[in-house]
Amino acid sequence: MSKITPIAAAVAAASMFLVTGQVIGQQAPPATAGATAPKAAPAASDAAAVKRPEPLKKRAPEKAPGQQTEVLIMDAQGIRMAPATLSAKLLAEYLILESAGFDLAQPTQEGTTGKDRLVQDDIQKLCSLGKGEQLDSKTAARVSELAMATIKYPEGGVKLGDWKKGRDLAWSGFGFRTAHNPDDHNKQPPGANCYNCHQLATDRTGGTIGPPLTAYGKLRGSSEEILKYTYGVIYNAHAYFPCTNMPRMGAKAVLTEEQIADVMAYLIDPASPVNTAAMSGMSGM
Amino acid sequence: MLKKALLTLPIALAVTGAIAAQAPEDVLDRLVTKAGSPTYLTQSPQNRMMMPDNPAYLVADDGEKLFKEKRGPLNASLEQCDFGEGPGVLKGAYVELPRYFADTGKVMDLETRLVYCMKTLQGFKDDDPQIKKRHGNDSDMMKLQTYIAMQSNGMPWNPPLSHPLEKAMRDAGEVMFYRRAGKMDFACATCHGATGLRIRASVLPNMGVPEEWTKAISWPAFRVGQENVRSSQHRLLECLWQMRYPNLKPGSDASIALISFWTDAARGQPAIIPDMKR
Repeated sequence: MSKITPIAAAVAAASMFLVTGQVIGQQAPPATAGATAPKAAPAASDAAAVKRPEPLKKRAPEKAPGQQTEVLIMDAQGIRMAPATLSAKLLAEYLILESAGFDLAQPTQEGTTGKDRLVQDDIQKLCSLGKGEQLDSKTAARVSELAMATIKYPEGGVKLGDWKKGRDLAWSGFGFRTAHNPDDHNKQPPGANCYNCHQLATDRTGGTIGPPLTAYGKLRGSSEEILKYTYGVIYNAHAYFPCTNMPRMGAKAVLTEEQIADVMAYLIDPASPVNTAAMSGMSGM
Repeated sequence: MLKKALLTLPIALAVTGAIAAQAPEDVLDRLVTKAGSPTYLTQSPQNRMMMPDNPAYLVADDGEKLFKEKRGPLNASLEQCDFGEGPGVLKGAYVELPRYFADTGKVMDLETRLVYCMKTLQGFKDDDPQIKKRHGNDSDMMKLQTYIAMQSNGMPWNPPLSHPLEKAMRDAGEVMFYRRAGKMDFACATCHGATGLRIRASVLPNMGVPEEWTKAISWPAFRVGQENVRSSQHRLLECLWQMRYPNLKPGSDASIALISFWTDAARGQPAIIPDMKR
């Protein structure tokens, strides 16, 4: 272990705990613990050299008898036994970033790696709300502030592009997928994925994860404020809707400035089918 | 009195057997009646109509033959494989996976356990096509998985959480379910946190409603659009692909944590196997 990350240290500390428990010999570990403990010993001693082993030793006797059997071991074979001191969150981070479950070295279309896709940035961390967790106003304000700071408006102001190009972009769900079947951007440019979640024009079926945007420009007009707001929402929607499900199309470089202008034209240009469609024909509402 | 009790026992067993032996489409129909807002369950009447003729049955027939056939360098069948209910016991085994296995010290799902048995009992190696090829109607993996999982059709999901590692993996899976990452900031919860949401025309299952979630996790299922029987691991892979995540190693602990959580979320609801999905 040349470099100890917080996760690795915590995980090793959990392994350490097992070894400590066994040395103390207060109770018999479960059937398999005896078999797996020796494999964890090197990791534990590595961690002991770097990270405070003393408090762990001290803490061990304080544990109620019977709970020390909850331990975690990691080795080449993966996760064995269970953690007593490792939270679910830490274990999840370990499984995602350190257990070789994901292909962390997989190249991405943007020239980074699989690991870069999986490591969370501030907004992803703040917005990973668990079951029943509500976004508090302080966090919401923080997310909004972080997001607003990322928005780069085009030089010379926000202008509409070509709605026909915008229509194709809005429909396309292609791009940036990796996993077992990476999208080749040389064969086809990445799309904007709008219809995945939004109803836009009524000639095609859109999803319902986001709000319907049919007649977007017809309802809102094309004032400078609306253009700036719309650009901002596409670029980084968290600025206006903290912890929204909407991807950060500009801030995460899914779309270029020019592509955003085209998508905006599709939304706002009076000639776009988004605005010429009859409201009564709206679906997915 | 004892004699009377013994006489009624076979009847009780027969009734239990009858419930478990109902067709997958009957299991689905009962869920539709039970669920308050069954948009996800009823989104494809065509698929419902085709369920009695599910091509997955043919795949499972091949699986039964493979299961009983002596194969591999050790010339053994899989009839001694222990999926958690004892060697060779398939009935009800799948709805109690993933679970902790003392012989490996790991929590394993159906696919991982099957691979383990093919290696230890039959002597296959990781690079042998019997193990390496994980997907498609013509793969041993899908034939065997479909056959084994079908023996739990109609039974309630009941993955054990009594071992601390089972609990730890399930809990880590829950964190992963809500964890946002990737190029598009997606978590599983982005799409599976409410009832009736759609991606384009596809209705998405809600993890929070066990009556609809059970269909979502009922794999193997024949995917009509792909003309292939697919596994839980394959479903995971496709979700992660759409989420713009990197590739996931089949049978990895990360995959099993997610499957542990999603199976627990359907607890108590009957498995629909083989299912037919879009």
